Amino acid sequence: MGMSLKELQRSFYNSVFRKNKKNDVELNESVEPAMDLESDQLVNIYRESILGGLTEALVQIYPVCAKLVGEVFFSNMVVGYMREYPSGSPDLADYGYDFSNYVATFEPAMELVYLADVATLEWGWHRAFNAEDVSSSEVSALASLTEVPENKQGDICFVLTPSGYLLRSAYPVHKIWNINQTDFAVEKEGDDCVNLNEGPVNLIVWRNSEFGMRIDVLSDDEYVFLEAISEGKSFAEIATLSCAPKLSELLGRCMQTGLLVGFNLTQRNV
Amino acid sequence: MNKTQWTPTGEVSGAGLGLRSNHYQHILDSKPDVPWFELLSDNYMSGGGLPIARAEAIRDLYPVTLHGVGMSLGSIDPLNLEYMKRLKLLVDRLEPVYVSDHIAWVSVDGKYTHDLLPLPYTLESKQVVVDRISQAQELLGRQILVENPSSYLAFNFSDMDEQVFLTEVVAESGCGILLDVNNVYVSSMNHGFSAEAYLMGLPKERVKEIHLAGYEQKGSYLFDTHGHRVHQPVWELYQKTLELFGAVPTLVEWDTDVPEFEVLQGEAQKAQFYLDKAR
Repeated sequence: MGMSLKELQRSFYNSVFRKNKKNDVELNESVEPAMDLESDQLVNIYRESILGGLTEALVQIYPVCAKLVGEVFFSNMVVGYMREYPSGSPDLADYGYDFSNYVATFEPAMELVYLADVATLEWGWHRAFNAEDVSSSEVSALASLTEVPENKQGDICFVLTPSGYLLRSAYPVHKIWNINQTDFAVEKEGDDCVNLNEGPVNLIVWRNSEFGMRIDVLSDDEYVFLEAISEGKSFAEIATLSCAPKLSELLGRCMQTGLLVGFNLTQRNV
Repeated sequence: MNKTQWTPTGEVSGAGLGLRSNHYQHILDSKPDVPWFELLSDNYMSGGGLPIARAEAIRDLYPVTLHGVGMSLGSIDPLNLEYMKRLKLLVDRLEPVYVSDHIAWVSVDGKYTHDLLPLPYTLESKQVVVDRISQAQELLGRQILVENPSSYLAFNFSDMDEQVFLTEVVAESGCGILLDVNNVYVSSMNHGFSAEAYLMGLPKERVKEIHLAGYEQKGSYLFDTHGHRVHQPVWELYQKTLELFGAVPTLVEWDTDVPEFEVLQGEAQKAQFYLDKAR
């Protein structure tokens, strides 16, 4: 009588992700030594395959982080991440969403104060690239805005493009990202320098209707406006925020660029 | 026995190729003479963006099949219904001739390794796999194919050989077999069993698709990397496979260090040569 399937799979999983790489005795006793290898060496073939596959997936999502710290450093960094943050989805594209949280607490990378925010930006790019397309069936077209009666206008909830990913950083991470792209070219002197003290930035990563990927810098007003929209706030609620004086200008611009893809009317609470 | 007999949704024939992202544009521009493409379902699960748009454009030109690793059919975990829902949407959208996954487990307690891990071939495992396949087929409303794995270890408390396990799973669930000839070769060399005896143990009428790929010698064992041309011993085993099962549609896979499209096409043409001989 061998292990139950449940015991075996748990033991195997724990063995792969355990820090000391030591298998359970029972797992070792269940694996037939073969190919001139002992049981734990056979399990290690799978360990290396799993960790290698996950590392490769993270390098694909976080190529700039990997370039900034170097291949070996990155590989060492993700081993800890993989152990502490298991993948909870069968879709590998979902893995790595909380990598920036891990990077922010990863002691050996503390000197690179911007690294966690670069990771957030890269995750935003990954999500925007793979995001659902704009669905015309779920929202009213912006062209029909004029049909909304005046007394209902406060109930309008604009809809941000599904690919829109907002982030704020204390560092110019979009510039760090840009100069680390393989096709980056210096057009004028200083293009390849980044001043970390130039102040915080607001960004939106998104995909336009032609699948073009964009990272746009937002003003404080634009950020507050789009963040409120992404949180599902109504036009009446947005009119109470700091961006209120510029609402009509913001709305026009965001509709024109394609960041807003439609609207819904909410039932106002009475 | 399975309650539902699934009828095939269509047909592919000849030697197809696994679709890889660096070949999208070439295929759309030059429309190469390839009978069908296999798409990795896990690359399109988000349902949006350029990858799925290109996949749809290629589906408009060629028959396609869908192949994935996410069902985790051998896991003690229940099927992930959210994943199955997304897969169903993808199947409805791309209308593949076949949908396939593996005889393996990928997850436990909701934690995913994203790798194909080995099962002990026991009655307990068989029931788990049969139940998962049956449920997957009900959810997708169609037959699925399951692929034999490459393996690097065997459990000493298995009750049966892999081909017996596979044959019984197929009989009890009503699924079909995606026979990976490279995997049979790799596992036979690693575990020292007869690849031919393995093939002869499988139910001929259930082998719907064949996979070919390249392995790598790693010290004392063979590892299934999908990063090389198909090796000569695998071509030889492939010819024996065709003698046994007939001209089953065959797919050449290449996943790591993917070369120029013409290299893949050359491998598919070689498979086509053997398929023509087997007709």
